[in-house]
Amino acid sequence: MGETGPTRSQSDLAEMLELLLDKGVVINADIVVTVGETELLGVKLRAAIASFETAAQYGLEFPEGTDMKRVEEAAGVEELPESETVTVGVSPDGEEDDEAAASDEEGDDEAEASDEDDEADGEEEKAEAKAEAEAEHDGD
Amino acid sequence: MADSEFEEGRYLYCVVDAGTDEDATGFSEAGIDGGSVSVIVHDGLGAVVQSCDSPFDSDDLGRVREWLLTHQSVVDAAGERFGTPLPFRFDTILKGDDDAVMEWLSDQSETLETHLDDFAGHWEYRVGVAWDEDRVQDELEADDEKLAELRGKVDEAGEGTAFLLEKQYDNRLRDLRRARQKELTARLSDGLDPLVREFEVLDSNRGVLDSDDSNTPDEVVQVAFVAHEDREEEIGELLDEVAADPGIEIRFTGPWPPYSFAPELDA
Repeated sequence: MGETGPTRSQSDLAEMLELLLDKGVVINADIVVTVGETELLGVKLRAAIASFETAAQYGLEFPEGTDMKRVEEAAGVEELPESETVTVGVSPDGEEDDEAAASDEEGDDEAEASDEDDEADGEEEKAEAKAEAEAEHDGD
Repeated sequence: MADSEFEEGRYLYCVVDAGTDEDATGFSEAGIDGGSVSVIVHDGLGAVVQSCDSPFDSDDLGRVREWLLTHQSVVDAAGERFGTPLPFRFDTILKGDDDAVMEWLSDQSETLETHLDDFAGHWEYRVGVAWDEDRVQDELEADDEKLAELRGKVDEAGEGTAFLLEKQYDNRLRDLRRARQKELTARLSDGLDPLVREFEVLDSNRGVLDSDDSNTPDEVVQVAFVAHEDREEEIGELLDEVAADPGIEIRFTGPWPPYSFAPELDA
């Protein structure tokens, strides 16, 4: 921290803006207008702040001087690539069989051909490996 | 709940103690969507308001964000001028004109005064603690025999057993890490206890921005509290002590209006 007092930097604003949506004094009375959509709005806003791509879509702009690195961190942007990896890692489960089945059809021809196809497409190689694995299983 | 139909209303930013400020009504700020902000004073209580004929609602999030920023800056200005404000939630609107606001102030004077007195000189502060994950892992391994043992086994094990051992290692690490997180939280709350009131450990799963995996991924403990402004330095010193530990970084923000600790008013 280095210095002893509290700070109020631009980068702390995102946190405060969120507080405005669901904190602060609430009045429960008929003389007060309540906005049903406010909560929804809050959710949308949060989603937008959370994802920079979404934020860009909504034209959400941060004021000049905002510490973008921190906002990006706050938005969890660094997490995105990871979650994408997860998605990619998960989805082949569904496709695996198809792929394997597809290469099964072409079968051995391709497996042999690929030796000459030096450094063939990585995906193809994987598919073939799976096909071979499947074949072994079938043998069992 | 309340009807959202109205012809004339007053958007309410905050209520302040205008008691000693003879020129309280002279307070003016630029409000949401360029409206003008004024203070309606009744018996020492000031309502910081802006006239409006409908709630502020939009699908344009950039616009909403501007509104929130404006709201915050008006409350800040009011706080600077009148001392700790009672900050209202975004889009709180009193139906009616200035007289209706006056009437509301008069009806609620006792409650509002109690809360204002309670918060006088006090603000909300927020602290986030981040630690260096690699360092923590190394330290835990150095301190915990079981974890070190598992690490050794993982390194020696063959492919098949390594997977299970790694799982055990991860579980052990997660438990130890959680324990350390608790220790750190306890250290903060014990240290801050005599200096603050209304201390709250923020639920890491609450808002997107509050969750510890999205709001600065490294922040393992986040707390909010209300403290008297005169305590800032002492609190800072305490936090400096905590931050003196290698690998620990602390973010100490404030003073903010006491949003997180604001009361509910039944009237």
